[in-house]
Amino acid sequence: MNFLRSSSALRLNTASIIKRGLASAPEAKPVNNKTFKIYRWSPDHPNEKPTLQEYKVDLNQCGPMVLDALIKIKNEQDPTLTFRRSCREGICGSCAMNIGGRNTLACLCRIDTNVSSETKIYPLPHMFVVKDLVPDLTHFYKQYKSIQPYLQRDTVPEDGKENLQSIADRKKLDGLYECILCACCSTSCPSYWWNQQEYLGPAVLMQAYRWLIDSRDQASGIRKEMLENSMSMYRCHTILNCTKTCPKGLNPGRAIAEIKKQLAFQ
Amino acid sequence: MSPLTRIGLTPIRTQFTRSALLSQRFFQTSSTQRFDIPFLKQIPQPPGYVVGNVNDAYIPPHASKTHGSLHWTTERLIAIGLVPLTVVPFVTGSFAPVLDAVLSVTILAHSWIGFQACIIDYVQKRVYGSAHDYAIYLLSFGTVIAGLGIYNLEANDVGLTGLIAKVASAKKEESK
Repeated sequence: MNFLRSSSALRLNTASIIKRGLASAPEAKPVNNKTFKIYRWSPDHPNEKPTLQEYKVDLNQCGPMVLDALIKIKNEQDPTLTFRRSCREGICGSCAMNIGGRNTLACLCRIDTNVSSETKIYPLPHMFVVKDLVPDLTHFYKQYKSIQPYLQRDTVPEDGKENLQSIADRKKLDGLYECILCACCSTSCPSYWWNQQEYLGPAVLMQAYRWLIDSRDQASGIRKEMLENSMSMYRCHTILNCTKTCPKGLNPGRAIAEIKKQLAFQ
Repeated sequence: MSPLTRIGLTPIRTQFTRSALLSQRFFQTSSTQRFDIPFLKQIPQPPGYVVGNVNDAYIPPHASKTHGSLHWTTERLIAIGLVPLTVVPFVTGSFAPVLDAVLSVTILAHSWIGFQACIIDYVQKRVYGSAHDYAIYLLSFGTVIAGLGIYNLEANDVGLTGLIAKVASAKKEESK
């Protein structure tokens, strides 16, 4: 009965949409061209200097985010433009790049609708570039691996099922576990620019802290010892670019300060 | 066939090794240039900063508390201690030589640690090798010279705070 009623309602609705559609033809919006200047470098021509290439995108024919514009350029103007993207909703961290001087995710960054100014797009600063907007994150991932980002315990739970955690302990992980490792914060950190070979950088250190304060984890001794040198963590000079730039609104600067506090008072 | 070739990573990596030396500067991604010290010989770094296999974890430097948490705590204590040491003589008006000597030594230690941080940041051991050590020696040498100067000031003159007070009062008289 219910089903019958809803299907008839659907039919009515479709009919009214068709009617409305026929009543007014869509008005063509005026062309509103925005200029994008995008960093281009190809490994096929390693001796050519990187350049900024100019593209014009009609904002009235384009979605609101910078990633929409990039995809539009790649689809319609230049298929050789290379960038990473996947989820287009700020949860995968693939499209991290430097847009208008700020490291952010292209999918979460609105296009500046002021068409008189151009938007410049670079790859993440001070990273090796694979091509165009694609940085080489190999070393970044190696650093992430080095903090052993997984649960380590000496004992298994008594019931053989789960490692339980109180609600208060779980709350401590909020603001840490949401990190998607887009590398925006690490590559905005001058200390990481100069010493990224040895300094772990805010993103990785925040994850180190996430595992340090996990009530279920029992390897905090090794985790802390790994940071006990002048390079791994203590190159952080609380510049706080990391916290300022994080596209997810997290606070890596605070996490690093908390680790320093833990190490100082242990 | 190595495991790398199997997952298709070698082609990219060899590309890097081939072009990295020649085009290190090409990889600079924005207007911020990498900081290079002229006239100092640099140790070439591995392509992409990748040491070992791409799947190996990064290996941190040897653990040492004196370079880690103890260093940090000392640094903070010195910095915090400087605040009362600087304020007290001018509030109480007492230029006690012991207090003055403690202040001078703390300032010296503070500057040594501050400059040491600059050297670790910019004259890295992994890039400049022994030049890093020489920079630290030079810093320590300068600190010793400054220490001798301060000793002279304490033993034969009015001390650091006394000197500052003297200069300040001299300026005041000048303006009158």
